[in-house]
Amino acid sequence: MWAYVVRRLLYGFITVLGVLFLLFLLFFTVANPEDIARKAVGEKASPEVYAQWLENHGYDRPLFVNPEYPTSSLARYTDTLLASHYHDMLTFDFGRSDADDTPISARLREGALPSLLLTFPVFLGGLLFSIALSLLIALFRDTYIDRMAVVLCVAAMSIATLLYIIFGQFLIGKVLRWFPISGFSGDPAVVWRFLALPVMIGILASLGPDIRFYRTIFLEEAHRDYVRTARAKGCGEGSLMANHILRNAMLPILTRVVTTIPFLFVGSLLSENFFGIPGLGALTVEAINGNDFSTLRTMVYIGALLFIGAQILTDVTYTIADPRVRLG
Amino acid sequence: MLQVVSACSNDPYPSDDQTRKVLYRAFPEAPKTLDPAVAYTTSAHAITGNIYEGLLEYDYVARPYQLVPALATGVPEAVSAPDGTIRYHFELRPGVRYADDACFELSESESSKSESSHSEIPDSPGSTPTTRSVTTRDLEFSFQRLADPAVASPIAQNFAKIRGFRQFSANLEQRRERDASFAARPPHEQYALVGGIEGVHLLNELELDLVLDAPYPQLLYWLAMPFTAPVPWEAVAYYDGEEGRPHFRDHPVGTGPFVLTRYNKQALMVLEQNPRWREWPQPAPGHIAPLGPRAGSRLPFIERVEYRREKEAIPAFGKFLQGYYDGSAIIEESFDRVIQEDQLSSDMAERGMRLEKSVEPGIYYLGFNMDDPVVGAPAGERGRKLRQAMSLVIDIDELSRLFLNGRGVPANSPVPPGLFGYDPEYRNPYREVDVERAKQLLIEAGYPGGIDAETGRPLKLGFDTPDTTSTAQLRSQFHIDAWRSIGIDVELRATTYNQFQEKMRNGAFQLFRWGWIADYPDPENFLFLLESSNGRTRSGGPNTANFSNAEYDALFAEMKDRPNDERRGELIREMQSILERERPWIELYHPEDYSLVSPWLENVKPFGMSYPMLKYYDIDPDERARLRAEWNQPIVWPAYALAGLSVLIVVPGIFTFFRERV
Amino acid sequence: MVWLSNGAVVVVLALASLAGIAVRRNPLWHDAMRRLARRRPITLMALSVFGLIALLDSVCWVGGETGPGSGDAVAAYEARSLLDRWFEPESFRERSYSAPFAAEEFYGAAPLEHPGEHWLGTDVLGRDVFFLTLKGFRVALLIGGFTSLIVIPIALAFGIAAGYFGGRVDDAVFFLISTLASIPSLLLLIALIMVLGRGTTQVCIALGITSWVSLARLVRAETFRLRELDYVEAARALGVSEFQIILRHILPNLAHLVVITFVLLFSSMVLAETILAYLGVGVDGSWGQMIDRAKDEFSRDPVVWWNLSAASAALFALLLSVNLLGDALRDVLDPRTLREL
Repeated sequence: MWAYVVRRLLYGFITVLGVLFLLFLLFFTVANPEDIARKAVGEKASPEVYAQWLENHGYDRPLFVNPEYPTSSLARYTDTLLASHYHDMLTFDFGRSDADDTPISARLREGALPSLLLTFPVFLGGLLFSIALSLLIALFRDTYIDRMAVVLCVAAMSIATLLYIIFGQFLIGKVLRWFPISGFSGDPAVVWRFLALPVMIGILASLGPDIRFYRTIFLEEAHRDYVRTARAKGCGEGSLMANHILRNAMLPILTRVVTTIPFLFVGSLLSENFFGIPGLGALTVEAINGNDFSTLRTMVYIGALLFIGAQILTDVTYTIADPRVRLG
Repeated sequence: MLQVVSACSNDPYPSDDQTRKVLYRAFPEAPKTLDPAVAYTTSAHAITGNIYEGLLEYDYVARPYQLVPALATGVPEAVSAPDGTIRYHFELRPGVRYADDACFELSESESSKSESSHSEIPDSPGSTPTTRSVTTRDLEFSFQRLADPAVASPIAQNFAKIRGFRQFSANLEQRRERDASFAARPPHEQYALVGGIEGVHLLNELELDLVLDAPYPQLLYWLAMPFTAPVPWEAVAYYDGEEGRPHFRDHPVGTGPFVLTRYNKQALMVLEQNPRWREWPQPAPGHIAPLGPRAGSRLPFIERVEYRREKEAIPAFGKFLQGYYDGSAIIEESFDRVIQEDQLSSDMAERGMRLEKSVEPGIYYLGFNMDDPVVGAPAGERGRKLRQAMSLVIDIDELSRLFLNGRGVPANSPVPPGLFGYDPEYRNPYREVDVERAKQLLIEAGYPGGIDAETGRPLKLGFDTPDTTSTAQLRSQFHIDAWRSIGIDVELRATTYNQFQEKMRNGAFQLFRWGWIADYPDPENFLFLLESSNGRTRSGGPNTANFSNAEYDALFAEMKDRPNDERRGELIREMQSILERERPWIELYHPEDYSLVSPWLENVKPFGMSYPMLKYYDIDPDERARLRAEWNQPIVWPAYALAGLSVLIVVPGIFTFFRERV
Repeated sequence: MVWLSNGAVVVVLALASLAGIAVRRNPLWHDAMRRLARRRPITLMALSVFGLIALLDSVCWVGGETGPGSGDAVAAYEARSLLDRWFEPESFRERSYSAPFAAEEFYGAAPLEHPGEHWLGTDVLGRDVFFLTLKGFRVALLIGGFTSLIVIPIALAFGIAAGYFGGRVDDAVFFLISTLASIPSLLLLIALIMVLGRGTTQVCIALGITSWVSLARLVRAETFRLRELDYVEAARALGVSEFQIILRHILPNLAHLVVITFVLLFSSMVLAETILAYLGVGVDGSWGQMIDRAKDEFSRDPVVWWNLSAASAALFALLLSVNLLGDALRDVLDPRTLREL
């Protein structure tokens, strides 16, 4: 058991190393740091300012091997971008933003709460709504409601998130004036007003695929033998759903839930931009537009790290919960 | 759900602020830095300009732009000495004090202790932050910071004519490299040890002379911007970004009318009145009257300014229409909503909105890469004729109608209206649409009907842009369509920023679109964009067209430091005629600054350049509250309709279910 | 270039007819197709129409008239597709916005060149929106199709290699897969495009890199299962070469996986492109770009709605058909293993 956990953790660590190498290839070897400097300092600055900027941000070092040191010296390999990239990322020293020099870790701390305030209600609301609705639909299986619901789900899946946001904001914010069109506030008494609209839109956009997924699971369970037995024993359709089917469908639901949790932290790229929520998704988009490579690679790294962590957690809980399961 | 809907309002602000004079603005992106020596963008100056104050400023209302004293007692005249140096004498107003800040108290307590710089610094500032008076030492410190290579001020080279400015930078850098303990000291101590800038000459606490090696009349314009505003050394030393303290660039301390009280780059910036600002009597200028009962009171009129982040144009403009932003000057995409055929739309006029416009000293243009073998100088007469032909088909009136709603003055030369050397009568013969002449020129250039004899196909050119926004793409398509009408096949290459820079560096581009907004209202700030030593590919300078013309360079050298006299006008006209013939640019338009102003906001006058005008604004909060309430009645019936509809769908289902299953 | 694109069309058509013949020959697939046609006749019809539009826009050649009064001297030298020739966009345009079926310009009420002929109005440059929307079909199919061309071979190669050979190969492939899979795909996609640059090929490659993983994982698991089957063991015992086994026995049994994943990936890639378009790195001419452009027009007054609506409706129609097809395919071909997608 413990051997498995250790092995799983070790494998997770190796994956992190792999992710870091990929990030290094993407962000250091291909892009020219002088362009990052130019964007950061502005078109009107002089070349000396760019050079100074590169030095301040450590981009002036060589990638893999530092020829300034003798071949025997270890510094030949440690005073390089590759080594410092690994060192900084593994020690969670994300440094400063390429765009405006603010410490990235401070930005992450600032952005995490607004992001979670948006994504968590969307996730929770979406989960509750879609499970409730899909149970209902499974209850009505083989009726017109079921068929209509499936088509509606597929239709809802075929609408781009961008369109949900554009039309939702236009209709509810601008035409009906139920909630502020956009904005955010740190004041807990007011903040729900801002979050209501993006959360509603987020839940709506997630319903299509989720309901379809859960419905499939419930129907699969509904066709199993134990359900038939229970029904033969005179168990009512409603209690059958709640007591037997839902309970047995918990495992696949849990898998899906655990793997979506890391993405809650990454925030929502589109919603945060349209609704002016200062979260991590907005930060990412800003990093893209501002050519801010250091922030972007940190975001990718954090996302990957959370995902790997969640996976390890699922695998380990599985083995604890069910000794027959052996993964990896 | 229905309860929630009927109970909620779309007011994004706390209700207590309804009756206060709070100005609400939207910002799309926070400035990267608020360090006055470094901040160089319009969005940064909108903040720093209100927090810091320089020796000079511009008159808010007078046009053409006119310099007036701010912290100085007067605008000085240049006095030339027999040795060729130029001297400006400044006298500082007495009793100017910094805004209250914790850094002053700490430095006081620190200096009362021993001199050891590593004595413990208290973690939390005391309860009564203090201030101190501004002296010429603070001005000296600001100049020294500009020269400091570590500060990396983007405009440092503009001050290089100050005697000893470059020397100071060099000394500072040398000392730092040689001596690590020196480099660890706070900046003001370093500057003092190096010995200061020779040309910044302090006479006493309130008087200083600036000594220049050569004439540079534009210097005064730079002094009207926040770059040289007095900066307290205490703040620079204390706010170093360590141990949880913010960095100085995020925590400005100045003498201006407002102080920055909240600074969250992602969401909110708040400016509040600075009670220390101009404690001497300061009546508003004659043409600026405060509203209602506060008449005769002191500037600034508004209590607080809240800048809220809006990344998308639509929500920002939507909230403006709902009355939750007080003015909308920045939101470009939404102008067509409001202005039709150069007039305020009837809907807007009904709401009491006002339109304020002024020409910005700036220019947008299409440029050719003059190093290119096909469109540039190497192609000689052929290239020149080609550029002339391409210039002749760009219809600026149509462009302005489609994309700007008339929000731009057609440009005939780089010099925009309002500046010396702008001639409203001047018509560039290559900036009128004449398709027939363009076709004729193409024949003369050896591309009859646009056909390149070598390939037998239309001449193929590339148009590079790093702007991948959809509006920019449409504009580019507009130009491309125009060139296609005379048979030139221009391909749009919208790339990422990095790809674009790569091409610029390698000179691997033919056509591009660019804009320039003046730093100061002088034609030199535009004409230098075509001077050969500023070539983009060769030196990384702002001459993106890589234009290189010896005659032009000579005229520019004579023109740049001249006072605005007859000869200067003549020189500018000659330079214009070179540009007219050579066509390194296809001048498009000088942008116009259109501000939409809510009915409750007063004393708004668009300025064009970055200008700290917040101190003049005034708000009528009662009127605002009334109109907001009128404009924001929620429409609730769809919620009931939705509920009804879901009942209609679900109820028959339940019946079916019970009929079939139970 | 003309020959390349026409050649590609020929290759695609040839592949399609080959696939058709293969389906007819194989009784299992034949039966599946019949059931599919019975379940989703309208969807299949709609998809064929969309495919036909894309085809019309793909077959192109140089030459011919460019339409009367054309203000475009270059078009005559360019390869124009059948769709272009039909619409003659060089002359079938206005100066600026026109509402659907309008007789005069939207702003300013100037008379139009082609009053009442623009079914879906025109955009700011006066281009016919119906035409632009139709052109979007080819771009959407390109995003989905070209990317699948990248995804499927890579995923098959890695998945089969890992599943069939196991051991070190499997370790390496599994490491690669888990590394790529642990990076949130949208972030990886954006990072790739920032590095690769803007452009159709780049976007397709980036989409390919981010989406081959899920298919590879399925292929690997399925190959594991197939490898242990009796007839594969038997073939191996008879001394059939590994390559022959993979070709004869493994690949055909993976076909249903590939078909279903292709259909499901298709819609997710088209959706991902809309987000990329919003970030300014989309594919030129895509509906995502049209939507991004039109979202600002949506705040005009009077509102310019036809641009946004046309692009949204077309996107919806295509995705709905593809998703319905995917749904039906899943039921017909494999009722169990693929619910995760």
